[in-house]
Amino acid sequence: MTSNPMHQFEVYKIGPEININGINLSFTNSSLFMAVSAILILSLLFFGTKKKLLIPSKIQLITEMSYSFVAKMISDTAGSNAKSFFPFIFTLFMFVLFCNMVGMLPYSFTVTSHIIITFMLAAIVFIGVTIIGFIKHGLKYLQLFVPKGVPIVLLPLIIIIEVISYLSRPVSLSVRLFANMMAGHTMLKVFGGFVISLGLLGGWLPLGFSIALTGLEILVAFLQAYVFAILTCIYLNDALNLHH
Amino acid sequence: MKNLKEISTRLKIAKENFSKTYKKDTESTNAASFGKAFKISTELVASVVVGTTIGFIFDSWFDTKPLLIIIFFILGVTAGIFNVIKTAKRMQKKL
Repeated sequence: MTSNPMHQFEVYKIGPEININGINLSFTNSSLFMAVSAILILSLLFFGTKKKLLIPSKIQLITEMSYSFVAKMISDTAGSNAKSFFPFIFTLFMFVLFCNMVGMLPYSFTVTSHIIITFMLAAIVFIGVTIIGFIKHGLKYLQLFVPKGVPIVLLPLIIIIEVISYLSRPVSLSVRLFANMMAGHTMLKVFGGFVISLGLLGGWLPLGFSIALTGLEILVAFLQAYVFAILTCIYLNDALNLHH
Repeated sequence: MKNLKEISTRLKIAKENFSKTYKKDTESTNAASFGKAFKISTELVASVVVGTTIGFIFDSWFDTKPLLIIIFFILGVTAGIFNVIKTAKRMQKKL
């Protein structure tokens, strides 16, 4: 009767196994739910911008709100220079948000609860930001590792520390999203298991907890997508406007 | 005199209303502060992990088994604390 709370994170393949040069490229449930979230985003944006009413319909309102939300976030944190990166950050935000939200549906799979997915997203951001920094400032970008007003004796130590903290960005970015999603979903499953095992007599308390946790989890799903996007903006800001 | 009394009662009500809404605001940011706390703690952990990993890799390159991992672990902790201070400062600026 006791169900394994980690069972929900299992990745299994759907359909035939695809093997190219020893790399397993099978279509899994993870890919399925990524595709589902991508299709949901595309259909939201498609139907939201189809009829351009002066007084927006609900779906148009959601689309416009998500646009202005991300646009405001970019202009607040990264400045007007970063306007050209809007498509990337919007895509990132919407993808993470929809993956988290689709994961909240029963019987679905949470794509972002796997560290390899979040780490890939963070690595794309990290490598992209580093390349942008070097394109924009050339070798001057290395000034990022040399804070102003540090005595020369301490400089080698500080540079190593700064490099470590720079390298820790993708790790903290990915671990934050992954740990939040995984911990939340495990907790939901554990409380769900309590409801079953305590039965009609004692099951009501964990049921209440479970409902409260679901609400919290929806909030966390939104918050983590927001944090992911805003930190990308902050890193972009560091790369575009070099100052310390 | 009556007028003044009326104004003071109105002021009292307005102040109460204001404090009520203000309280509601702080309650709604409780969840956001949970997010902030998580943000800071991952910042600390990530630097330690990265520092230790770098130390481990360098150790296997230069064959100096326990030495560099210890040094880089300490450097990682330092970097983590720096990061936490930086993040906290950024949060304070926003408030």
